[in-house]
Amino acid sequence: MTTRRAWLISSYSLSIGALLLASGCSNNSGENAEGSQSSSSTSTNTDDETVYRIGLIAKSNSNPPFQAAKTGAMDAAQRLSDELDGVTVEVLWQTPPQEDAQMQAQYVEQLVASGVHGIAISCTDANLLTSALKAAVDKGVVVVTFDSDAPESGRMAYYGVDDKEAGKEVMRQLADQMGGEGKVAILTGNPAASNLQKRVEGVIEQAGEYEGITDATVYSFMPETATEAAAKMQQVQSANPDITGWALVGGWPLYTDNALDGIYESAKVVSMDPLPLPLEYVKKGQVQVLVGQPYYGWGEKSVEMIIDKLEYNRSPESELIFADFDIVTDENVDEYGENWKTWLGED
Amino acid sequence: MLVIILMMAVLSVYGALNKVPEAIKTQLAPDAQVILLDAQGDEHQIGEIAKRNIAQYRVIDTDGTTSYDARTIDRFDAETNTIYQSRMKNKFFNASNLFLILKDSSFFAIMAVGMTGVIILAGIDLSVGSIYGLSAIVGAMALSALPADASLLIALPIGLAVCIAVGTMCGLANGAMSVGLRVHPFVITLGMMAALRGLTVVLPQELFSTQSIGGFPTSFTSGFFKAKIMGVYPVPVIVMALVAIAGWFVLSRTVFGRRIFAIGGNETAAQYAGIPVGKVKILVYTITGALCGLSACIYLGYLGAAETNAGNAYELQVIAATVIGGASLMGGRGTALGAVLGAIIIQLINNAMVIFSVDQSYNQIVMGAAIIIAVVIDQTKQRVQARRG
Repeated sequence: MTTRRAWLISSYSLSIGALLLASGCSNNSGENAEGSQSSSSTSTNTDDETVYRIGLIAKSNSNPPFQAAKTGAMDAAQRLSDELDGVTVEVLWQTPPQEDAQMQAQYVEQLVASGVHGIAISCTDANLLTSALKAAVDKGVVVVTFDSDAPESGRMAYYGVDDKEAGKEVMRQLADQMGGEGKVAILTGNPAASNLQKRVEGVIEQAGEYEGITDATVYSFMPETATEAAAKMQQVQSANPDITGWALVGGWPLYTDNALDGIYESAKVVSMDPLPLPLEYVKKGQVQVLVGQPYYGWGEKSVEMIIDKLEYNRSPESELIFADFDIVTDENVDEYGENWKTWLGED
Repeated sequence: MLVIILMMAVLSVYGALNKVPEAIKTQLAPDAQVILLDAQGDEHQIGEIAKRNIAQYRVIDTDGTTSYDARTIDRFDAETNTIYQSRMKNKFFNASNLFLILKDSSFFAIMAVGMTGVIILAGIDLSVGSIYGLSAIVGAMALSALPADASLLIALPIGLAVCIAVGTMCGLANGAMSVGLRVHPFVITLGMMAALRGLTVVLPQELFSTQSIGGFPTSFTSGFFKAKIMGVYPVPVIVMALVAIAGWFVLSRTVFGRRIFAIGGNETAAQYAGIPVGKVKILVYTITGALCGLSACIYLGYLGAAETNAGNAYELQVIAATVIGGASLMGGRGTALGAVLGAIIIQLINNAMVIFSVDQSYNQIVMGAAIIIAVVIDQTKQRVQARRG
């Protein structure tokens, strides 16, 4: 009985060990393929080489913008390793499968315990992550936030767009398309989400600049899924056929096919988030403009800032670094689409 | 336990071969001037010379001049005038990392102790993650209403009472509906999972127009649940240990515990034996809800805020911990200590991903495989035992 029990426990342990080792091996080969440092050395200084390890924590693993950020970080690590003599930069991707601030906080703590020199993070919830990030900063880890900030955390810098400005840009583009007149509907997701609130605020403020735009009504939907968003838009348009412009502060409905049936015929549409699926709507002429964030730059710029601090002790001039928007229309949609092949590692 | 020891042994060996620096912080005087010298002894200003070319840091303050060999300095932060040095430590086997694993396990382990009772009954509770989320949000509302300097004697009882009360009521509803309506708990708790998650989102949205609530008394956070003692945060771990001991005692040393096993082993026989099956089931689901509330309270105290997504999909981790810990989904078998060890194994796997620098994308593959292996081995063991009579 005892022998059998020991055998069962041993086989389970060995199985888990084998799985972990297999993952470790595949990780090393994966990193080689991506050009990142494959050495498992974690020492900060050796006689001839300095290794900087940076943890990259995005909001969710499956989201294309964060995959682009990962590619940007890996590319920056490779480039900096090549450019800086005697320096190797490693990026460790630690991102929950779905948005989970508690798990992000755990990853921050585990990365600090494992001896990383820097952390780049897009915070799912600033309140929840502030104390973990503060502790990391206190231990000498250089922290940069991208996409979503945690301003009270003591992080060195934030890189991303100004959400209110993003809303204004969406409205500016929409007004251009509408000739400065008509009735506007604003589509937003969770009305309690602070970033969406700021974008909506930007849209409304900008809409006030145009005398011909008489109305800017906000329509929200929950949960934030593509089908819910598409259904909401179609119901609103059906009930308000005089709507001539849609300002989408997130690209939710455009992650499905045919979300704009019954809408694009009578209204202009401008949306955030030029992801691969929304680009198809621009190609079909159903969406006139997409306003993009620096997805690849989230990772690339974050790694650059961290290395600049670690290697040269240089901090950015401002702790808030706002990126420019990418404007995608039918004129540059194919060119922009090519970016995604690179960002998602399809090249 | 042997599984954990073997995994830790492997990780410790790996960690010893791949040591990491542990930061030692030296705060310089505010008026201290730091001059960087290269190998030739030339002076440089901050930002003008790459770190690898610095040979010496010269610190000049009112006490005089101190020189540091650059090889002993990990980093100098010019903005805070702080020097970071380090000593090397085992990447895995060090106090802070081991406590991190235990702390991360505690949130799931506490719920898993309750889930063990449910699974021994041959039931299931899919709503634990949502109960955790709702308890956290309601608890956060209560705590955020207290002044920031509220004493521990006020904040702690309020936090515990609100979180546990919400969890208890949700658990009671699960048990009462399952027993009273004679509907399988899978269906009831599936419905509750969705309904409670909806409440978790709607409540802060309608009352506070926000997705997260923070701003608790410091006595509740850094003063208790995140109190640092000897460099680690032990409170969540201590609570987990107490819950595990209580769970062990209840399941193995009380009449109530024996009744749970009897119902899980053969519900009809238990009824004929005069066991109040309905009452026992309701109580087990209620206790599970209360433990979810307790876990949510620790989450609030440790992280200092609650968000609407709290506990989302945690039911899978909790059930996984219970199953890995040896509980049988067919009912009649399981231990509280096993559930806690199962939660620790899950966090050990998570931690191993970081230790081995494995891309997190592989985590779910390893985790899923570990669960399947655990169940297959368990069933093989059952078949072997059955064959031997």
